[in-house]
Amino acid sequence: MPEDFDELSKLLRLKRFEQPPPAYFEDFLDDFKDRQRAQLLREPAWRIAWDRVTAFFGGHSAARIGYGLASAAVLVIAGVTSFNILQTRPTPEMAALPAPHPAAQQASYLSLNTQAPMPGLPTLDSRMAQMAAGFPPRYVMDARPVSYEQPPSSF
Amino acid sequence: MADAAPVNPPANPVNPDIELVARTQAGDPRAFDELVVKYSPRLYGLVYNMTSNHEDANDLLQDVFAKAFRSINGFRGKSSFYTWIHSIAVNMTINFLKKRGRRFQMSLDDVDLNIQNDKEFIELTATSSPVREADLGELQQKLNEAMQKLSPEHRAVVTMFDIQGMPHAEISKILGVSEGTVRSRLFYAHRQLQAYLEEFRKK
Repeated sequence: MPEDFDELSKLLRLKRFEQPPPAYFEDFLDDFKDRQRAQLLREPAWRIAWDRVTAFFGGHSAARIGYGLASAAVLVIAGVTSFNILQTRPTPEMAALPAPHPAAQQASYLSLNTQAPMPGLPTLDSRMAQMAAGFPPRYVMDARPVSYEQPPSSF
Repeated sequence: MADAAPVNPPANPVNPDIELVARTQAGDPRAFDELVVKYSPRLYGLVYNMTSNHEDANDLLQDVFAKAFRSINGFRGKSSFYTWIHSIAVNMTINFLKKRGRRFQMSLDDVDLNIQNDKEFIELTATSSPVREADLGELQQKLNEAMQKLSPEHRAVVTMFDIQGMPHAEISKILGVSEGTVRSRLFYAHRQLQAYLEEFRKK
């Protein structure tokens, strides 16, 4: 019933006559300036910087900006991680090669000795040492000599 | 003394607030002082009538102007300064009231004695015997108690519409809700207040 609300509105409008002491508004500006200066001295620098950032983006909700920054940070971290993973992914040629022996990984890339030493087989270095000593190299497969060099004759 | 005339946003298209805001943004703090002097009575009325406590209203008003000053560079003029600063005041007061909860004491301002000359007060006392019989202090106490029973959002709408005389459209801009929402909040709040203030109704 609008007429009833009219009467209520008239009653509520009487609250306009509730007023602070007469000097209140005269002193308000000075009080405001004093408090503002005191607040500036108390406030940490990060808080002032944060207020400036929120003011720059024109929003009233710091939480919304914080959420946006957090989301952006997550995206950046996810992007960097993905990039690193893509960089280290093996190519098809690399995938076809046998996995290097851990000891071989320690060798320099410039060295010829990139093959991992197999158990029971002479290494490249030991074969070269044999040749330097005048002995022909012997190749062994399945524990039987298979080299084309004839064994020394016993006649 | 009383802020008797309805407080409406400035209708003048050449709004002096724009110049004051531009000067503040350019680094002239005295321009902001002028805005503080201009808006403190209106905003005090808004915050005081929502809190029913002078000290809380004073603290909140200081915080409202401090926040407005810090954020002034973010003010792009999409709304009027009037709307912008009122929305800061309303939002900060609603947040404060939600934190304060129900545990508080009223600290009411004095009733200006000019009320005796107010046309509506004369009319109310002439037609309503409960209003005539109640003394001013009692009437003030009851009105504030009734207001404090409303939710902060409903109190904001009643304060702006009934006490400060703002139109629905302006309230909807300040609160960032539709005019329909403002009207429905007002209707609900009026119904609640009517029940609380039943004893002051015309008999």
